[in-house]
Amino acid sequence: MSASTNRPLSISSFPKPIIHIDCDAFFTSVEQALNPELRGKPVVTGKERGIVACASYEAKALGVKRPMRLWEAQKLLPKLICLPSDYETYSLYSTRMFEIMRRFTPTVEEYSIDEAFAELSGLRRLHRAGYEEIAWKIKQAIQTELGLTVSVGLSASKTLAKIAGKEKKPDGFFVLPASELHLYLPKVPLERVCGFGPNTVALLEKQGIRNVWDYVSRPEAWAQRLLGKIGVELWHELRGDAVHPVMTEVKDDYASISKTKTFTPPSSEKDFVRAQLIRNLESAFIKIRRHKLRAKVMAVFLRSQDFRSLGVEAGLDRSTSSILDAVGLAGELFESIFRPGTLYRSTGVVLSKLEADRTMQYSLFDDVPKIESMKRIDKVMDDVNEHYGKHALHLGTSLWLGKHRQHIAGRGDLPERKMQLLKGETFRCRIGIPIWNVKV
Amino acid sequence: MPKQIDFPEVISKLKDFYSIRKRLPSFAEIQSLLGYSSKGGVSVLMAHLLKRGVLKRDSKGKFVPSPILEGGIKLLGTVQAGFPSPAEEELVDTLSLDEFLIKNPQASYLVKVSGDSMIDAGIMPDDLVIVERGRQPRHGDIVIAEVDGEWTLKYYEKHGAKVLLRPANKKYPLIEPKAELVVGGVVVANVRKYK
Repeated sequence: MSASTNRPLSISSFPKPIIHIDCDAFFTSVEQALNPELRGKPVVTGKERGIVACASYEAKALGVKRPMRLWEAQKLLPKLICLPSDYETYSLYSTRMFEIMRRFTPTVEEYSIDEAFAELSGLRRLHRAGYEEIAWKIKQAIQTELGLTVSVGLSASKTLAKIAGKEKKPDGFFVLPASELHLYLPKVPLERVCGFGPNTVALLEKQGIRNVWDYVSRPEAWAQRLLGKIGVELWHELRGDAVHPVMTEVKDDYASISKTKTFTPPSSEKDFVRAQLIRNLESAFIKIRRHKLRAKVMAVFLRSQDFRSLGVEAGLDRSTSSILDAVGLAGELFESIFRPGTLYRSTGVVLSKLEADRTMQYSLFDDVPKIESMKRIDKVMDDVNEHYGKHALHLGTSLWLGKHRQHIAGRGDLPERKMQLLKGETFRCRIGIPIWNVKV
Repeated sequence: MPKQIDFPEVISKLKDFYSIRKRLPSFAEIQSLLGYSSKGGVSVLMAHLLKRGVLKRDSKGKFVPSPILEGGIKLLGTVQAGFPSPAEEELVDTLSLDEFLIKNPQASYLVKVSGDSMIDAGIMPDDLVIVERGRQPRHGDIVIAEVDGEWTLKYYEKHGAKVLLRPANKKYPLIEPKAELVVGGVVVANVRKYK
């Protein structure tokens, strides 16, 4: 069946108008927006991790890819500018982008640090403009106020909006009405659908499905049989029938919480590596308490210099938000996987089987007074650290970290924002407004 | 072990409820408000509140709020009787320093001044100016602009179709953009912190 004989799936353009907005090369674009001398130059961020976390379009054009080791990228391109990640400023930018979107519609989903969905139905009268024009205004507002470009896709479901947003990057703007899907989808390869991984694509190709139009042309029952519930949902989404809602609440139901840190130079010193691990454990528990959760399962892993990882998982005695319930077990797990003489480069902790830390059903064998006193210790630690800075009060084990920052030598570089403090700012606490580094 | 009751927290929640709804919450409402798992727990709490005088019983034995809770209706201070003082009333609509200095928080940036070309306008080296990106400059505004590849802080002047950038320091010349002028943003405030 050729595309020209396909019949429209919908007579309405936007039964539910949804836009997807994605910042172009977000981290480096923020750096370039705030530092005019970086504009037009190949820039990457991720110096502190030793890998390319984000590459500017100039760097991409010259062959720098993500993920690449930093030294590889520098060998390829000696004039490459490598910056340490300034997550604080990136987060300020991210929040600003979402806030600008909320000026137009309250229905905004913060999908990731640099990506968002918004739903526009009912807004035409308020803004005296069509959906396409509203989407364009949002794009313009973000671009002028943040000084970076975004790519926007407007369509009839989240899945379609995301495909439309990827149509052209950077600085893209693509409108895909549901009434034109029959003309467009035959040109879209399966792997562009968020939700079709390599294995799904391979399976679909075995069924003779070559593009997205082939997929939505099959009956719903076929999608159900082949891919189950997820397949059916995508089948509807791709036909312009939105089933995934734009979720406005900030995500706080984590499936797991993990904390990983790489350190340089690598170390084989047992106490030091253990201290790194325990520090991650502390950070993970701080996060878990901030989100009012508790965990039942803990995994720890060590990664050696040759990038081999060794991990082990175990259940905690009870679902807990207290590090004192976990630190003993973490030590045992560490002992079971630590190999003397191996050089380690990073450690990590994953807490999972999370649940809301609200009601507590004590079991018959629980030492209730001890649990209560641990809760009080947690509270004291959180209060002290809120006042004096994260990890000001910490477990004795992490003393082995010594004065060693995360990285010695070049990779220990801090973002400029943390180096040049304004009067009254501290290393822990700075003004929540980005500094624009123009020399005037 | 009995649950510790955080009285200030409980009272503030009851106060909020009372100030909005003008009545006490039902047991079921308290249950969801404070996260109790049963109404039995709520009744224990009510007994405590009665003992502390947060609640009272009327002649028919129904719970009624005490002045502690009713005080929450009044937006101003904790005065339980009489007229609110004018001083307190004035506090209802105040701006924080942030709100005072910044109009559009999403578009505002800090720029640290290094040069002295605007000292006669009171902008000194090391001052922090707040710049709003994307705002349309008007004649007489102070702007941050890129002129022929150089960034500068100057008065923005429009003479017919021609744009001039005027310094506030006699040592510097008037700038007439030759090739290109990009106004990066308009200065909306200047911050100088002494201590």
